[in-house]
Amino acid sequence: MAFFEVNNLIKSFGKTKVLKGVSFSLEKGEVLAIIGSSGGGKTTLLRCINFLELADSGTISVGGKVLYDGTVDKKMSDTKMREMRLHFGLVFQNFNLFPQYTALKNVMLAPLLLKIDREENIASTARELIDRVGLSDKADFYPCQLSGGQQQRVAIARALALKPDILCFDEPTSALDPELTGEVLRVIKGLKSSDSTMVVVTHEMEFARNVADKIIFMADGVIEEMGTPEQLFEHPQSEKTKAFLSRSLER
Amino acid sequence: MIQHIAEQFPTVFAALNVGFLQTVKLFVVTLLGAIPFGLLISFGSMSKIKAISATVKTVVWIVRGSPLMIQLLIIYYFPGLVLHTPIWGSGEQGRFIAAAIAFIINYACYFSEIYRSGIQGVPIGQTEAGKVLGLSKSQIFFKVTLLQMIKRIMPPMANEIITLVKDTSLARIIALQEVIWAGQAFLKGSQGISGEIWPLFFTAVYYLAFSGLLTLLFGYIEKKLSYFR
Amino acid sequence: MKKIIALLLAVALMACFAGCGKSDAKSDKTDLEYIKEKGKLVVGITDFAPMDYKDGDKWIGFDADMATKFAEKIGCEVEFVEIEWDNKVFELNGKSIDCVWNGMTLNDEVKAAMATSNAYCNNAQVVVVKADVAQDYQTAEACKKLKFAVESGSAGKDMAEENGFEFIEVKDQATALMEVASGTSDAAIIDSLMAAAMVGEGTGYEQLTYTVALNSEEYGVGFRKGSDAVAELNKFFDECKADGTLEKIAETYKVQAALIK
Repeated sequence: MAFFEVNNLIKSFGKTKVLKGVSFSLEKGEVLAIIGSSGGGKTTLLRCINFLELADSGTISVGGKVLYDGTVDKKMSDTKMREMRLHFGLVFQNFNLFPQYTALKNVMLAPLLLKIDREENIASTARELIDRVGLSDKADFYPCQLSGGQQQRVAIARALALKPDILCFDEPTSALDPELTGEVLRVIKGLKSSDSTMVVVTHEMEFARNVADKIIFMADGVIEEMGTPEQLFEHPQSEKTKAFLSRSLER
Repeated sequence: MIQHIAEQFPTVFAALNVGFLQTVKLFVVTLLGAIPFGLLISFGSMSKIKAISATVKTVVWIVRGSPLMIQLLIIYYFPGLVLHTPIWGSGEQGRFIAAAIAFIINYACYFSEIYRSGIQGVPIGQTEAGKVLGLSKSQIFFKVTLLQMIKRIMPPMANEIITLVKDTSLARIIALQEVIWAGQAFLKGSQGISGEIWPLFFTAVYYLAFSGLLTLLFGYIEKKLSYFR
Repeated sequence: MKKIIALLLAVALMACFAGCGKSDAKSDKTDLEYIKEKGKLVVGITDFAPMDYKDGDKWIGFDADMATKFAEKIGCEVEFVEIEWDNKVFELNGKSIDCVWNGMTLNDEVKAAMATSNAYCNNAQVVVVKADVAQDYQTAEACKKLKFAVESGSAGKDMAEENGFEFIEVKDQATALMEVASGTSDAAIIDSLMAAAMVGEGTGYEQLTYTVALNSEEYGVGFRKGSDAVAELNKFFDECKADGTLEKIAETYKVQAALIK
């Protein structure tokens, strides 16, 4: 069994079926990129993995253990939900930093509240993380004093602070000016070399191609095509994939 | 004229101070009660259980939709007139408690709507960011959303609270002897001074000073919270 | 929806009860027994010299002194409570006070809403005008040209209606005087006892004076409708007349001329 497995996830909002049975698996340290046009269910898939939405059916397992089974886990306790979420980290499209805290405090807040370590250790880990995303001189700045790219890097450090098994990114550069996307992508690329398992929803085709071990093309709530970057970009099988890729590369 | 007022001033000033003390007491007690109670009501009106949210919303509508003066009359006179159990007693204390209860209920309903807009105005992404970091609901509320909500509600709350300063004067309908009552007493005649309107006009000075002080305080708080957006 | 209707009904009922509630106490105690049992006679008043007014923290005046003596007689303490005059019937029926003893004119409305004592003091409704034009308005007929201010629900208002005056209603007699002093009304109709105390030389309204007496009327004490305390009070008044207490207290506050002997 693979390290991270998603099996036959189905999710509807009212009458609209958004995920129509999505399955994939990922080994430890692998990077998965999910591409596809908007409305294809990419973000919903990511939200289901992070339990911001609960899938109607299907399973999610990490390390060989089934964390979530949509047919039985519909109503679960707050505590169990929190435990499940700790396996995952999520970096949002629009950062969602806590505006009232400094960059450093944003990174420290959850570890402190969850009491995962002594305070001084949490603080030094947080400084290391801030350092790693290249913002050691901005640790005491408030989010409103940082650029979008800097905010997103803080958000990445914040997600890393809880050492999640799988780190997810929901279009991490879409809200950024083009000249700021580079710094964020470089940070994510840097994480790959440190062996993090990651799922990245992205519109950056070049980035997906260079960084991902595996690529999924989603359309209309299903995985239209899945494979290595080379397979998908050089030899796409599905007509939809071909059409999407040619549209994306035109831009 | 000036000399005339100067002669009466010590008597009037002492009486107005006693009245103003009552005004301030009602103001403080109302805030102490309505600020937390309003939060409870706002949670009720946002409850996922339909029966609770519908009931709370109806009560809020009734309280906000009817004059505070009528509410004061009902709360003070209803128990004695209709239920034949005068629970408030006859003296100043009973009148004060009845007035405080009416004010707390009334202002809690106004505050609850401000809170609701404040809570709903904090972007949902803040709550979600807290959730994916494994925080509990109460940690998210107290450590993430509360301060942002406070910042958002400061201007409308300041407005409401300054209105409260002046609304306290309504309590004289059930004979609570606040500062305007004390000022009016000299119109009818009290302590040997009668037919004087200047004490009534002078009560405005108290309100002005008090609301001025509050305006400064709120300005200070808003400035304190301006470090984040 | 049902809930909303139920709530609306409840509110409507409350409002209605508050408006037309009557003191139909279900207990079998009489009102006097009720007062004696709690050991306190609560007297509803307004600050109204020379009948009820404050000397330091103590309420004195012709009415206040008599009320204190009456409470003593029935073995109770006395407590004076300032009330909003418009709410006096609510205060009585809601039992936040036991009686209204405050130079209250015995008119038809008062007699209908309360159990009233025998009259103990004469009063009249008089016209108050600016002193410099007083000689022009010495008869009710002459006053017809004036615009009046009267206390709402007062005996003065009844007089204004009876005489066909043009008038506006204001909150209390003091406000009516203010209207005249500030020139927003030409004249006011107030109690003669009050006029004597508040208008003319050495008062706050030196520029005003009073002219015509439009009627004569009487002051009495009001209890809850059907109260047996009234009989007790009438007995007490008779005793006080007989032994001269009434006269003596009246002299203290200079209202002896108005006493009903």
